Amino acid sequence: MSAPWQGPPVLEAEGLSVTLDVPAGRLHAVSDIDLAVHAGETLCLVGESGCGKSMTALALMKLLPRRGKLAARRLTLEGRDLLPLGERAMNALRGERIGLISQDPMTALNPVYTIGNQLEEIHRRHRGGSRAAARERAEYLLSRVGIASPGMRLGQYPHQLSGGLRQRMLIAAALMCGPALLIADEPTTALDVTVQAEILRLFADLQREFRLALVLITHDLGVVARIGHQVAVMYGGRVVETGTVAEVFRAPHHPYTRGLMDCIPAPGARREARLGAIPGIVEPAIGERAGCGFRNRCVRAQPDCGVGDIHFRPLGTGHAYRCLLPPDAALARPRPVAEVPAS
Amino acid sequence: MSAVVIDRGPAPAAAATGEPLIQLEGVGKSFAVQRGSDARMLRAVDGVSLDLRRGEVLAIVGESGSGKTTLGRMMLGLMAPSAGQVAIGGRPPAALGKRALARLVQPIFQDPYSSLNARKTVGDIVGLPLRIHGLGSHAERRKKVAAMIERVGLPTALIHAFPSQLSGGQRQRVAIARALITQPEIVVCDEPTSALDVSVQAQILNLLKDLRDEFDLTYLFISHNLGVVEFLADRIGVMYLGRLVELGAAAEVLARPRHPYTRALLGSVLTPDPALGLPEAPLRGQFPDPLDPPPGCAFHPRCPVAFDRCAEIAPRTLHDAAGLIECHRHDAAVAAPPDAAR
Repeated sequence: MSAPWQGPPVLEAEGLSVTLDVPAGRLHAVSDIDLAVHAGETLCLVGESGCGKSMTALALMKLLPRRGKLAARRLTLEGRDLLPLGERAMNALRGERIGLISQDPMTALNPVYTIGNQLEEIHRRHRGGSRAAARERAEYLLSRVGIASPGMRLGQYPHQLSGGLRQRMLIAAALMCGPALLIADEPTTALDVTVQAEILRLFADLQREFRLALVLITHDLGVVARIGHQVAVMYGGRVVETGTVAEVFRAPHHPYTRGLMDCIPAPGARREARLGAIPGIVEPAIGERAGCGFRNRCVRAQPDCGVGDIHFRPLGTGHAYRCLLPPDAALARPRPVAEVPAS
Repeated sequence: MSAVVIDRGPAPAAAATGEPLIQLEGVGKSFAVQRGSDARMLRAVDGVSLDLRRGEVLAIVGESGSGKTTLGRMMLGLMAPSAGQVAIGGRPPAALGKRALARLVQPIFQDPYSSLNARKTVGDIVGLPLRIHGLGSHAERRKKVAAMIERVGLPTALIHAFPSQLSGGQRQRVAIARALITQPEIVVCDEPTSALDVSVQAQILNLLKDLRDEFDLTYLFISHNLGVVEFLADRIGVMYLGRLVELGAAAEVLARPRHPYTRALLGSVLTPDPALGLPEAPLRGQFPDPLDPPPGCAFHPRCPVAFDRCAEIAPRTLHDAAGLIECHRHDAAVAAPPDAAR
């Protein structure tokens, strides 16, 4: 997929970092990340728990926990510099130009207000206007996200809806003000598979219709493959491989990306085959670090991996990976992994 | 041992050939649920007949609310059926007694955070079943616990650790060690990897596969993830709204699913292949209210190939050479209109 994306990116981040001071030291939750998403484009951030993908999403909205410190060389939304903006100005953008959809649709909705109240509030807060106009927009969006009899649903409370319906509600809520950027954090993880397929299709349709820039955070490479245009694979707070989805899946270069792909129980694989396993667990990135954060789990680690900064190796067409292995060596199949305990 | 005699008609010839270790005959489980002012019955499991045979991995798949966890709890003897009969090792769980039952069947649960006692060390948790059953001397138990902890891939130093000091994958290894320490014949795994990261899930699945071969285990493996199921299962049973709607050899069910719901489930699996794009929405409508299940075939409102009869009459359970199927379209005695969706 060569980039059909015209014009400047909706969202652009350069050198984005987040640190948190925790009792054990300084946690480098996100380290020096560059991202860009265009209108109509889906960027997937993929990685396991603790890799920094959710913190990245929060940082893009400057919505960090109290102890979190954000640093960036550049952070712009629709060309506007977000770095100098205060809380009030950011609040005006969140919900208006940026929509957020979180993983758990039960906790994201307020249980004591009706769906209608919650949807209308977003519109009236940012756009002012009448209640009737807000309700009209809410009804339109509910039917647009595939909810039958929207008028009745607006009068209901979150607990009266199934998980799939709640997630549709959240999508409608995020779209109330017609945002340019939608950030979805594991939007289908809590859902059943058939519902997941429906919700992802809805995302793809809405994105096309509203020309949304979509940042989708997931741990599921299957989701990335089917809906993403660009992908950034994260490990230990860093992007370790990035490129178009087609390129990265065709030729994953980073040992972590390759490891993740081998882990998936793929349909049609021989039953006798063992799953590839990445030994060990994600280690928290606390304190000053040198070298590659993945080296302790990497089957191809060398002594040099612990030294200095590991830079991206560009492969052309935007595909790049952060590893000392040259491309031909990275693509060679690693030795079969011995079963390593301790996870 | 007096076996419960169960007449099950023509035996399905599919897959595993071992003798049945657990037999379900017309098993149902209902719960009283208060809705508003009236009490209603929720049929979590309805009329399920099924054998778990020695040496096989039988996977039960279905979405939330399908009754697969309730079925697993009945096969563990943790829950008595409200209809039909369960026989474990040829006897009803109640006749077997708690201790004998625990020696035969052990569980591994989904959530490794809540299934381990937070105030006991790993060694205590894994060793407790040996103490309860009075197996071996103190020294023998310690040796056995250390060996099992090592076998499931935990560093022996963790024997004195508390669950809170372990990662999710390590906790699940502790749960596996605890389940296997008394050498049960059957392990009921209820979504054992769904709370884990994919790289850790792969480690645990490999371990479960190795342990099965090493200890000649029989698994009932409950999961919503068909990729995981394909990796392990010999046979697959598909549940929808409390009914077992399809059962057959794993390779057959995955390659040639017969029930339209099985087809929808398979169509929803997102394999990591960018060339495929998103699947068409596989089903219409919503999962039905289990307190108010649709008449006829419970799946008919969402079924792409439903016809008049499906809304009126529940399909028969058909046992054939391939396994089990509950669908009018597969009933030779039913004249179905042409299937436009296929």
